[in-house]
Amino acid sequence: MPDERKGEGPGSENLSSSDRSNFERRVTDLDKRLDNARAHHAAKDPDGSSAVRARGMAYGLRMASEFVGAVLVGGLIGFGLDRWLGTTPWLFLVFFFLGFAAGVVNVTRSFTRLQEEIKVATKGDIGRSLPNDDDD
Amino acid sequence: MADGAHSGSAMPDPIHQFEINRLWHIDLFGFDASFTNSALFMVVAVALIVGFLLYAISGRLLVPSRLQSLAETAYEFIANMVRESMGEQGMKFFPLVFTIFMFIFTVNMLGMVPGFFTVTSHVAVTAALALLVFTIVLLVGFAKNGLGFLRLFVPSGVPVLILPFVTMIEVISFISRPISHSIRLFANMLGGHITLKVFAGFIVMLLGSQSVAVNLLAPLPLAGAVALMALEFLVAFLQAYVFTMLTCMYLNDALHPGH
Repeated sequence: MPDERKGEGPGSENLSSSDRSNFERRVTDLDKRLDNARAHHAAKDPDGSSAVRARGMAYGLRMASEFVGAVLVGGLIGFGLDRWLGTTPWLFLVFFFLGFAAGVVNVTRSFTRLQEEIKVATKGDIGRSLPNDDDD
Repeated sequence: MADGAHSGSAMPDPIHQFEINRLWHIDLFGFDASFTNSALFMVVAVALIVGFLLYAISGRLLVPSRLQSLAETAYEFIANMVRESMGEQGMKFFPLVFTIFMFIFTVNMLGMVPGFFTVTSHVAVTAALALLVFTIVLLVGFAKNGLGFLRLFVPSGVPVLILPFVTMIEVISFISRPISHSIRLFANMLGGHITLKVFAGFIVMLLGSQSVAVNLLAPLPLAGAVALMALEFLVAFLQAYVFTMLTCMYLNDALHPGH
């Protein structure tokens, strides 16, 4: 099926000039309508706030779970080693704090990555320039 | 609240929706492998994905139809994510990443239909997915880099004195990945669905009251439930997205160990 359609294209040779002007008018019309829709959308949701908020929540939960996960793993490793070696509670304490450190490492690492993503998305221009209220 | 016991029974049990029921008993060598409602919804999700994709691309039009452009959007969305996080060579993992995204997304969305079962609200399912990713990262990491994969645990430029500690911390951080990976998805879905159910339960409780003044309060939790529903749809997508993105990030560590 796809081969039959391939050569067809827009068939520009067969178009009369009125068809072509008609087509161009429709394209500019569509452009205008798209611009209107975008402007309308932007006005309703200045910086995509609901999506941004949901994304921020996702990031927050991600960091929280990364922190908690590391503490849990550290504690469990220490607990297991303690039971195995009979050194309760010392290894548990050591690994609990190592897990804590690992959690902090996790959070800082994903934060750095988040910052890089934002930098790429905003092209190094972090923060919006706010309109100056004093002058007007 | 004249009759406490009665109003208590009017409140639907918010946990009931997560119950696993055996639909078809299967006993595999003394191992309970019954076909449950959870399995049913997984099969439904897979059937939906396969059916949708096959139907959408069946025309193979140069100018895509609506369904085909939807399928193409999904493809490009994941393909871009894979390329951005792993580079062109990461496209080897595209089938895995795409499958994970489509599965979690479809299962999450199916869970949003009232009365349907949410597969990802069970930690067993999300842990299985996270362990799958974790195992693949380990296998690919060692297969591609050999013992060089262990460089992941030894950051460069660290004084020898504290290197053992840093290595331990890195190991713990690595092991904690599948845990946070699975808990995040499961907790989000579980929490969201319980909250929805509790809000819906408030409506029933308020309407069941004898006093008209209390009855009139019922629209409040209804508005809350509607707002939560919208948020839950966002969460259903975002969690699928986050899970997939982290999968890409972890796979990237397997391809390029060392920070």
